[in-house]
Amino acid sequence: MNELFPLLSFLVFPGGIFVLASGLVYEWTDRKLVARMQNRIGPRWFQPLADVVKLLAKEEVVPAGVNRSMFLAFPVVALAAALTAALYVPMAGFSPSFSFRGDLIVTVYLLSLLTLCIGLAGANTADRFSIIGATRTLTQLFSYEAPFLLALLGPAIVAGTWQISEIAGYAHNHWLILTQPIGFVVAIIGLMGKLELPPFDAPEAETEIVSGALTEYSGRGLALFRIGKDAELVIGLTLVAAFYLGGLSNPLEFLLKTGGLLLVVAGLQSLFARLRIDQVVGLWWRVGALLALLQLLVLVVLQGMGI
Amino acid sequence: MIQNPKPQKFIVPIGPQHPALKEPGHFEFTVDGEIVTSVAIRLGYVHRGIEKAAEERNYVQDLYLLERVCGICSHIHATAYALGVEKLAGITVPPRAQAIRELVAELERVHSHLLWLGVAAHEAGFDTLFMYSWRDRETVMDILERLSGNRVNYSANVLGGVKFNVDAAQADAIRRGMDFLEERTHHYYNIVTAEETFLRRTRGVGTMSADQAEALGTLGPTARASGVQRDLRIDSPYAAYTEFPVQIVTASAGDLEARFVVHVNELFESYRVIRVILDNFPPGEIEVRMPRRIPEGETISRVEAPRGELFYFIKSNGTDQPERIKIRTPSLSNWASVSATAPGHKLADMPMILVGIDPCFSCSDRSVSILPHDRQSKLWTWEDLRQYGIEYYR
Repeated sequence: MNELFPLLSFLVFPGGIFVLASGLVYEWTDRKLVARMQNRIGPRWFQPLADVVKLLAKEEVVPAGVNRSMFLAFPVVALAAALTAALYVPMAGFSPSFSFRGDLIVTVYLLSLLTLCIGLAGANTADRFSIIGATRTLTQLFSYEAPFLLALLGPAIVAGTWQISEIAGYAHNHWLILTQPIGFVVAIIGLMGKLELPPFDAPEAETEIVSGALTEYSGRGLALFRIGKDAELVIGLTLVAAFYLGGLSNPLEFLLKTGGLLLVVAGLQSLFARLRIDQVVGLWWRVGALLALLQLLVLVVLQGMGI
Repeated sequence: MIQNPKPQKFIVPIGPQHPALKEPGHFEFTVDGEIVTSVAIRLGYVHRGIEKAAEERNYVQDLYLLERVCGICSHIHATAYALGVEKLAGITVPPRAQAIRELVAELERVHSHLLWLGVAAHEAGFDTLFMYSWRDRETVMDILERLSGNRVNYSANVLGGVKFNVDAAQADAIRRGMDFLEERTHHYYNIVTAEETFLRRTRGVGTMSADQAEALGTLGPTARASGVQRDLRIDSPYAAYTEFPVQIVTASAGDLEARFVVHVNELFESYRVIRVILDNFPPGEIEVRMPRRIPEGETISRVEAPRGELFYFIKSNGTDQPERIKIRTPSLSNWASVSATAPGHKLADMPMILVGIDPCFSCSDRSVSILPHDRQSKLWTWEDLRQYGIEYYR
């Protein structure tokens, strides 16, 4: 029985099937919400699943001039990283399956691995759109990653631990969005940057570089990257909700809080025009990072004074 | 030994098939990092040989052919042609017909400008504005359908007048539509002048001074956004523009923001003049008889299309078929401004600069054949041209 538990938690819940299924549901919700805000009808409920099934059934074309094994490995590594990250966050309001001191850092690393894989996958191909997309993906990674991490460190510092389950437990009694509003804003916008959602979709701006780093991907590889992104959407929302919105103690709370966050994210997506990559970097380093640092400084000083 | 490699040019090809382009065209952007250093434009993917085809048909058939030069500004092509042929035949068209021509032309301008607003917003990644402006554009499309029965090629013109009349119920529907659109357009004006992320993509991008705009031969809203005072509806009124004049709309900045402002303000001007026409419709006939054969002679006919000055040269040889029809569309004149303003901007700005001139690719496609100087030039017949087209794409 003891051997079965890790396997089950990786393959069924909270990793594996559960993350994949909820990822597709959240993707649909996001697309539907944005569509309604833009006065469109939006996709039917099974559209994300249908897209994935269709892609999985299609031929995967390996273009000329790429390192074949790397081309095939990147999507797998990306999805595996996203699924592993699900084991350390309180999915669906239950306590994380695995937990150790400092798992916050590991989780953030695993979440970045997906973006890193997309960037490297783009750089691996010889296509010009892919290379520009990869440059932009990695540039964006370097701009939002630090502020995003700083924003997640805020709750960690007040909770006095770098273990996700303990931070979530602390946050259960404290709505940190009230005491650390800047951190919350930076975290939610950082999440949008991570997922390359508009207005941070310069790396895959279709009107300039077709579909960015993933232009050459088709079939299975593209499907895996897409599921990986969906998984990251769920995990990211869970993390931010658990840290800033008073923790997640049961599935209902999970649904309400992550759903509310998704509504905010969808609203932000439809409000703005796409930022150029230089504007993204400027925004994060001139505004985002400074604000997050300021927040952190205030927290450290207050902690030092023993409040 | 590692040799210092020569710095290679990194060229980003856009087109002929690309998500940014709704029509085929080929653009080569040489980039240095994200900065564009030069642009090469290649057109000609949708050349249809319309000018040649027009010589093989009679004047009435040509009207329908020429209306299909452009899918957006179809009415204005037919108007330019009809005005030219009527001038050659020495026919005076009744004032009510001229008023209906102007009315449809202004409705068409509304639909074209709203379309451009959406496309330009989409190129900036602002899909919400795209969806909303295209939804509202349906209002004017419905009006045009109610007037003519068609949404795109309205076929309002016949030689010697117009095909349909406008009754009181239709006039009321137009007024209601204009009221709705005017309210929406105020909203769009606020967005294009105040929305911060959008201004970051338009302000100071693709700037063209008035001198530059003159030198490059730009036309229409593109030129007026740079402060060039040129609008044929005012400079050389045709149809009913003397009775129902419009005000010129210009801006001075010359960047993309100014072009948005000019387009949106021209919308307001169109709404105003449409209402004036409806309130003061001249009574009377809408058509006079045209002779089948047009007397020998040649003429030019210039009108202000939504994209700028549209130029027609028509030469008649006394039969029922024209000897030569030469069309110069405004998009053709505006292309030079793209290659002049693009260098120095970021690659991300390119789709917006391209779309900033409101290009119509099919309108600007010309066939050019470069012969070695020792070879004699040869006149192609319609059959030769057709055969060449078939062979080319085989």
